[in-house]
Amino acid sequence: MKKKVLSVVLSVAMVATLLAGCGAAAEAPAADAPAAEEPAAAEEPAAEEPAAAEEVAEAPAEGDNVINLWSFTDEIPGMVDKFLEANPDFGYTVNTTIIATTDGAYQPALDAALAAGGAEAPDIYAAEAAFILKYSQGDAYQYAAPYKDLGIDVDAEIKDADIAQYTVDIGTNPDGDVVALGYQATGGAFIYRRSIAKDVFGSDDPETVAAEIGAGSQNFDKFFEAAEKLKAKGYAIVSGDGDLWHAVENSSDQGWIVDGKLTIDPKREAFLDYSKTLKDNGYHNDTQDWTDAWFADMKDEGPKGVFAFFGPAWLINYTLAPNCGGEAVGEGTYGDWAVCAPPVGFFWGGTWVLANKDSTKKEAVGKIIDWITLNCTQDGLQYKWANGTLNGEGGTKDCVASGTVMAMSDGSLDFLGGQNMFDAFVPANQYANGKNLTQYDETINSYWRDAVRQYTSGEKDRETAIADFKTNVGDNLDVIVE
Amino acid sequence: MRQKRLSYAKYGYFFCIPFVVAFLIFQLYPVLYTAVIGFTDLKGLGNTAIHFLTSDPFRNFKTILTNGSFRTAFKNTWLIWGLNFVPQVLLALLLAAIFTSTRSKIKGQGFFKVVFYMPNIITAATVAILFASFFGYPMGPMNDIVTSLGISKDPIYFLQSKTTARGVVAFIQFWMWYGYSMIVFISGILGISPDIFEAAEVDGATRFQQFIHVTLPNLRTIMLFSLVTSLIGGLQMFDIPQLFITKSGPDNATLTTSCFIYNQAFAGSYMYNRAAAASMIMFLIICVCSAILFYLMRDKDEVALNKLIRKQEKEYRKKMKLERQGGKA
Amino acid sequence: MHTKKRTSVGYLIVVYILCVILALLSIFPFWVMIVNATRSTTQIQQHAVSLIPSSYLMKNLKILLGKSFNPAVGFMNSMIISICATACSVYFSTLTAYGIVVYNWKFRKAFFAFIMAIMMIPGQVTMIGFYQMVYKVHLTNNLLMLILPAIQAPAMVFFMRQYMIPALSLEIVQSARIDGAREFYIFNRIALPIMKPAIATQAIFSFVTNWNRLFEPMVLLTDKKNYTMPIMVSLLKGDIYKTEFGSIYLGLTLTVLPLFVVYFLLSKYIIAGVALGSVKG
Repeated sequence: MKKKVLSVVLSVAMVATLLAGCGAAAEAPAADAPAAEEPAAAEEPAAEEPAAAEEVAEAPAEGDNVINLWSFTDEIPGMVDKFLEANPDFGYTVNTTIIATTDGAYQPALDAALAAGGAEAPDIYAAEAAFILKYSQGDAYQYAAPYKDLGIDVDAEIKDADIAQYTVDIGTNPDGDVVALGYQATGGAFIYRRSIAKDVFGSDDPETVAAEIGAGSQNFDKFFEAAEKLKAKGYAIVSGDGDLWHAVENSSDQGWIVDGKLTIDPKREAFLDYSKTLKDNGYHNDTQDWTDAWFADMKDEGPKGVFAFFGPAWLINYTLAPNCGGEAVGEGTYGDWAVCAPPVGFFWGGTWVLANKDSTKKEAVGKIIDWITLNCTQDGLQYKWANGTLNGEGGTKDCVASGTVMAMSDGSLDFLGGQNMFDAFVPANQYANGKNLTQYDETINSYWRDAVRQYTSGEKDRETAIADFKTNVGDNLDVIVE
Repeated sequence: MRQKRLSYAKYGYFFCIPFVVAFLIFQLYPVLYTAVIGFTDLKGLGNTAIHFLTSDPFRNFKTILTNGSFRTAFKNTWLIWGLNFVPQVLLALLLAAIFTSTRSKIKGQGFFKVVFYMPNIITAATVAILFASFFGYPMGPMNDIVTSLGISKDPIYFLQSKTTARGVVAFIQFWMWYGYSMIVFISGILGISPDIFEAAEVDGATRFQQFIHVTLPNLRTIMLFSLVTSLIGGLQMFDIPQLFITKSGPDNATLTTSCFIYNQAFAGSYMYNRAAAASMIMFLIICVCSAILFYLMRDKDEVALNKLIRKQEKEYRKKMKLERQGGKA
Repeated sequence: MHTKKRTSVGYLIVVYILCVILALLSIFPFWVMIVNATRSTTQIQQHAVSLIPSSYLMKNLKILLGKSFNPAVGFMNSMIISICATACSVYFSTLTAYGIVVYNWKFRKAFFAFIMAIMMIPGQVTMIGFYQMVYKVHLTNNLLMLILPAIQAPAMVFFMRQYMIPALSLEIVQSARIDGAREFYIFNRIALPIMKPAIATQAIFSFVTNWNRLFEPMVLLTDKKNYTMPIMVSLLKGDIYKTEFGSIYLGLTLTVLPLFVVYFLLSKYIIAGVALGSVKG
């Protein structure tokens, strides 16, 4: 009887302490839990490890000089470490939380942490292109502090650093204050194969290719002419219709939502026809981006040689280069690439940095953010990032947000046959448009791409595909559909 | 000791206390929250003010029931569940019967039991990636097989076809869960007294007869468990459809109700109210279906069991009384 | 006799063929996973399914350990959560089921219906409420938030009840009472052993589920010290354009290994001999 009562009391006490623990320290119940079930669990086949549980509840480091940083990769935390190294007397330690975006947990966790506030709330948080609009202009914009409240002279610094307009537009909240900026520039270029350019157009010079595809023309007329020429020699101009999508999406005059209503911009609607033309004429290998076949085309293993990919600098660094089938000139397609301006300007991806308006360490937060997003000296992050020297010499060179920094950096890559990629990407960043985006884009885009696939594969006619697309959007989002 | 009336009923309460307490602490708020916001206009992030819909309390429910995607999702869910459940239970039963048979021991059955359960160990995300790549287009192992065997000249876009997309999802579900069901059935069969099997064998029952007339009837309670949990699991199917083909598959072919609910809440609009309403609708549907299953498989033994408990208590009380009186005397 | 033997051989052949096919189907993804752990990210991107190992194992291991991947910490956290949560749910579910099956109390039926109802609530929305609650009371990074809720495991109570009804004879309980055993003692010493096959079965399922849990720990455990194995693997994914697939598969392989150990340890309880012995006794 005693034993039974004891056990019941213990189990009740265990949960009761937990409730009490809500207000007080969290350590107490942690130590109790294994003890409480130990006598009970004796019969169980699973081995207990009560000793191990002691370490369970260590209260997160709290205090006045801790800055909480939330991110979805170790990229920004790595930068902040460098910042702390360079500023030993900064006086704050940084507590990092990294939650991957791929499993969909980052946003729920971040939303809950922002809403709950308190000492563990993030002071600095990162957002990716796919969901930055939500945090800078959409449902969660109220949490973001304007940069000017962090002690940053934001307008002057943006001008000095020559930050691409699309980045600023995306990072500006509905009140007109800048709340988010990035360190990368993700303006897209036309990344093509030199050998194929020579074979088909007689020269691999970026200017020749730019003229052939109608670079900067804001339409795809010349592009399809080039596709026909490439086809005659047995090449595909792109790997799949997805390659074209980012350019088409970003070239439109309006976003998907205008005044709360779903709007299909004529330029986005034209994607149906582009996709159909590509497929019916065999201008591509009919792959889908981020699938096995798409990657195979990068090292020239697809059914047809693929001429080009549309993408920003990161696509070269993290996707094309590792997948080209070699690590030095002559191996695979390494060194056989070059960049020129795309037919229509666009950007793809990117990371923005935000600060919590309830942060009690705004000035320190501002220093870190300024160093990452706006500092255009050789000691700033972006200079190191552009020249690949953040983690020592010989690192990956990437396009950065500041045009000023790129102008004083060397972006030549062996992968591009020695071409200075900044020559193409600086103008590309200027073409990109940051005003036709909504926080619903990720979802709406996926419905649109599905509709386009239905149409291109012949499952549906044009009208049905569009009608079903509208139904899907209306059914799943809080958007008026007419 | 004497003043205490002997009843065991209180132990029933005692033994259920931990469960109730844990529920009250961890689940009550979330559940009530879900039940309540279905009747509000709560949507958007960081929005906690609750306004009940006074003019039309069931607006969210009506919106969901007239929502085309919800209907599609509902149909898909049943279809995919049916496609995976029937073969899953049949195979699991068959394997359970084979592995528990006392007549012919299968060598290496320990190995097989472990291996068949393995697909359930691997995470849904990994399974989704592997299968998506297996059915890749225009290149992929399945297409290699199809083209090299000459079944089709051109690569087939498997996951672009509604039928194959659904079929593959159903197959993955089947493949991930038959081992689980098998283990459940094995443990159920092990709970049956071996004497019954021996008796059947002595009576000259064939393997099949024994299975139909001895194993199945005695497995009824566990079967009910399997049916009900699988129905619930099936109607809440989420991981594989969500992860396998991004955003609900070709033309919403693999959109399930749980994916639909998730989309309502997280796809960009944070319509918690509609998501909650859809959850409650699914909850009611699952309740009704489960109740039907319980009714169909209702257990006459259970009624007998209740009688037995009462009888025993009475007897025991009588006995204790006698003993006490005896002790006094 | 003669005919019986012949059908037996035919039966065995069919059974073995079926088993071998199913076994191959089961092993296939594991083989691919282990092989992929030895391949480079680009090899995997171009052909995700391959049966031939490559030579990047050490390189993948280096990337794995170079990131926030600390197998010792992850293993400890995963172990604590999985073992405690499994122990909680198995023990308390059996207890609750015993309370429902053996005793006749007023709200017994209603309580069982209530348990069934909890089981039927779809999780996607309810989860939001749970996260909000945990964040509001500032109990994130507390492993107990992932362990204690396991005490109420409606599906397991349901299973235990279904198993107990035919397997636990009330005569045994009754005779123990007559011998003077107390109720709690009867449960621990008599009911639990009889329930061994059911407990082992559910313990395996519960352990696997808890071990593989990703979403809740990711949302609730934000401190590196508390990361579980699956969280660490998911960090390797980061974002879509910089995914280290080779290391992810290596991480997944490392994550799965402990599950096999647990499964082998527990599976002896679901092998006929052991179980039948205890029922008879």
